[in-house]
Amino acid sequence: MFRRRLAGALAAGVAAAVALTGCGGGDGASDGPVTLKVLTWEPGGTEYWQQVKSTFEAGHPDIKLDMQSVPFDKYPEVQGPYITSQSGPDVMANNAGLELFDRRGAYVPLGDRAAEINKDLVTYSGACEDFDTSKACFGVPFSYQGNVLYYNKEVLTAAGLDPETPPATWDEFGAACEAVKKAGKTCLALGLSGTFPAYWDFPEIARNYLTEDDIRGLLAGTLSWKDPKLVQTLEKLAEITTKGWTNRNAPSITMLPDGADIFQRGDAAFAGTIISDAVNWEAFGKALGDDKLGVTRWPTINPDAPLAQKFSGIEGAVYGVTQWSDKKEAGLEFITWLAGKENGELWVKHAKGQPLNTTVDQSLLPSSPAFKKIQELVAEPTLHAGVMLSGPEADALARGWQQVTLGQLTVDKWADQMQQALERSPTKRQGN
Amino acid sequence: MSISTAKAAEPAVATTPPPVRRNRRSTHAREWWFGALMVLPALVLAVTFKLVPLARGVVTSFEQSSGFGDSSFAGFDNYTRMFDDPVVLASFRNALLVVATLPVWVVFPLVLAVLIHQRAPGWKFFRAVYFVPYTIAPIVVGIMFRQILAPDGPINALLRAVGLRPLAIEWLNGQNSALFSLVAVALWSFFGLGVMTYLAGLATIPDEVLEAAYLDGAGFWRRLLSVVVPMLRPTVAYWSVLCASGVLIWLFPLIYALTQGGPGNATMLPEYLVFLTTFQFLDRGYGSAIGIALFAFVAVLSIFSVRHMFTEGTRKPR
Amino acid sequence: MTRRQSARIGRYLLTFALVVVAVAAIYPLLFTVVSSLKTQHGFAQDPLGLPTSGITLENYVEAFKRMDMPRLLLNSIITTVGGLVLSVLAAMLVAYAVTKLRFRGGKVVFLLIIITLTIPSQAIIYPLYQTVLDLGMTGEYQGLILAYAAFGLPLGTYQLAGYFQQVPDELIEAARVDGAGHFTILFRLLAPIATPALAALAIFNFVWMWNDLLLPLVIMGGSDSKTLMVGVSMLSGQYDVSVPLVSAGLIVALLPVLVIYLVFQRQLVSGALAGSGK
Repeated sequence: MFRRRLAGALAAGVAAAVALTGCGGGDGASDGPVTLKVLTWEPGGTEYWQQVKSTFEAGHPDIKLDMQSVPFDKYPEVQGPYITSQSGPDVMANNAGLELFDRRGAYVPLGDRAAEINKDLVTYSGACEDFDTSKACFGVPFSYQGNVLYYNKEVLTAAGLDPETPPATWDEFGAACEAVKKAGKTCLALGLSGTFPAYWDFPEIARNYLTEDDIRGLLAGTLSWKDPKLVQTLEKLAEITTKGWTNRNAPSITMLPDGADIFQRGDAAFAGTIISDAVNWEAFGKALGDDKLGVTRWPTINPDAPLAQKFSGIEGAVYGVTQWSDKKEAGLEFITWLAGKENGELWVKHAKGQPLNTTVDQSLLPSSPAFKKIQELVAEPTLHAGVMLSGPEADALARGWQQVTLGQLTVDKWADQMQQALERSPTKRQGN
Repeated sequence: MSISTAKAAEPAVATTPPPVRRNRRSTHAREWWFGALMVLPALVLAVTFKLVPLARGVVTSFEQSSGFGDSSFAGFDNYTRMFDDPVVLASFRNALLVVATLPVWVVFPLVLAVLIHQRAPGWKFFRAVYFVPYTIAPIVVGIMFRQILAPDGPINALLRAVGLRPLAIEWLNGQNSALFSLVAVALWSFFGLGVMTYLAGLATIPDEVLEAAYLDGAGFWRRLLSVVVPMLRPTVAYWSVLCASGVLIWLFPLIYALTQGGPGNATMLPEYLVFLTTFQFLDRGYGSAIGIALFAFVAVLSIFSVRHMFTEGTRKPR
Repeated sequence: MTRRQSARIGRYLLTFALVVVAVAAIYPLLFTVVSSLKTQHGFAQDPLGLPTSGITLENYVEAFKRMDMPRLLLNSIITTVGGLVLSVLAAMLVAYAVTKLRFRGGKVVFLLIIITLTIPSQAIIYPLYQTVLDLGMTGEYQGLILAYAAFGLPLGTYQLAGYFQQVPDELIEAARVDGAGHFTILFRLLAPIATPALAALAIFNFVWMWNDLLLPLVIMGGSDSKTLMVGVSMLSGQYDVSVPLVSAGLIVALLPVLVIYLVFQRQLVSGALAGSGK
């Protein structure tokens, strides 16, 4: 009985092997349309990318898109080997900031094209060397990302607070948290497992101590973590948890989905998340009701600091053409299109994201009050300190915060560890 | 341990030497060539997809690279660097702690398998159900257990309800409790595989032999140790090797989904550190070196089991 | 208390213990099924509870909409079955050569294959990709099938060698005298004896190959030949993690695994040397 089954399985295996030798290969150098292989983790969701493919192909009959979609958390394991072996897709994506800079050797510098791409964009520097658009740029963004503090108006009201004037300073925030806690809710929903807090919360504190030059120093690896400005940033970051403003299990849960879920089910007053893509005004509005969702800047610590009232904005995913592609022209055509109005409108409609292109039809923009408020907040952007962190730094920041929260580490030791992480960062090594 | 019962499992093995046909060289040579042909596919697979990549990994471990830039020869730098890297040391310390739990991994499924094999009521149901956790993908396991093990989660609610309030700790927040919670989740994920493996082994022992051995009226544990284990030696050895070599690797997707090595480095294990160093920190040379160190660690760990397996698999002299 | 009474109490306790373990074992499946029937909002409301705000099938609809299910299923079946068959066959041949043939050097080969078990896969991703690239097999079924076979090889070899070892040599000699060739002995005599081991191997390999993400991603990238599990992981995004949607995808991906398990589980307890007398 079993033997017969085994024989059947065997036959199936052989048949499969025979079938394989038949297919495979493909492509060929025929005269038809050029097929671009695009490596992506589908930022903004599958539906949006299906629209990108069909819309772009409709307007460009000579180019076909072959989407190579990879889950976000496995992306480095797929992309890394492509870069070291200089092989693979024609177009790839990386997040703006250090992630892109570390891999810039894989991309074709855009030269004069950059100006055309930049024409209608709110910001573009995150795709360029040293965050400087006059230097070499390596790709094209189309989404706008950054951090805000969402709040649940009902929870504030229940705690006896005015939902129309959320706490604006650090001390007010502390007082509000005491009131919320007395009303039996969590003040700030937080999950510290993973690196999201490093990217989302760190820049909002850092804005109170750093200048734009300091942030560039952070990128270059010349600003020491022993510098009082950064030590103070760490101290305030630690206060968020050590003052008991967050849920107790914060050190061991992730921000997504666990932390965000606490806020979505109405158990927390505040949640610090992002403006595009997901866990934003759209998702929270759906969960809590658009009219119950408020949004504000993170509370300021030093109101007089130059960046205290600014928005840490950053381009989302950046798409570039690979050095090894033999279809560079078609690739450039595609990524240039990504920055344009047509794709900007797809991004708004299908990904519910903040567009980077300023010519997007304003009537398409959503009517949610939170979204409207975000338009005010993003009007004055500055550099985003989070995306300047190297892999080891982001990791050490997240782990250190967990340990500080649990009382296993002092802030000074945390700063030491951050400095060691900086020195361990291969791409921030000084003197090469 | 009663050796007499153990012998019953291998009826008359090697008591009478096989009728050796007086043979010439040529048949020997032909048999050798035939054997060589038979091992060839496996050898090609192992060399191409494991040993060659490993050798290339060793080469990388002697290089220093700056992200995706050029790399240069670095001698033993990557290896010496490990000794004053607290994270590396913590990860190997944690690995040792995990390894210390191996006896549980070996015994727990064995007990369950024997109970099922004895046809405990509903054994068919248990046999099917115990295998389920192994089939559930880690991503779900992670999401689920973060909720279950939360300070106010169902486990602690249960403990408080039955009056064991002091045991209701913050499982995933503690230095040691986080690691052992993780191991417990992994054990929960894999014990069904062990039960299945042991059942396959038990199936090769004729029922009469087992029943006869049970008749002497000894207690469960005595019978387990003196009757079942000796007869099941190859399977126990196989499962032990599987666990010894696998446990650190099995934990990887669970760490990824559950704790990401935290809080701090409490659940950091070498394999996860290799992943972080190589893909998040872009330090390929160092990542490879840690990987090679892990390879050596597991190899030393399983050297006894491999030697055992080696003698098991090639024992019979002819 | 008489001995019979205490035996009965013992039996109750035992059954109780088995049930407790069973509940713990079945819970995740229930959790996944229940989660897949909730809306994302409903899950956020009460992650561990029953769906209070109504049951929805929308996650399944969405999962099917986002994934090219027939193609993904075909890819997974081809690669998993191919890898499974190849690795078990190769392992059988080695196990036979090492345990039943006069084959000098067999020990070395055996050790070499077994030692590959302890190579941590995270450490060899870059060189593995490079090797597959050198072979021209990236994005191809062959590449993944061969890699699966290689990764499944050491355990299969060891387990089968252990079983073959137990078969008395007289049995083999008798068959040889009857004129049976090596392959007849391997497939007609040894394979049936090792049926439980083969079934266990088949299940073990099927599950990990079916669920694996690392090898398919490194070898297949994001091409159309990606496997079902890769498709399922695509259901959660960089920031957008919907447990109900992923759960729905997982339930769909889990069905073939359960079928395989049910098909093979009877073989797990069959066989036995007693039945091998022909």
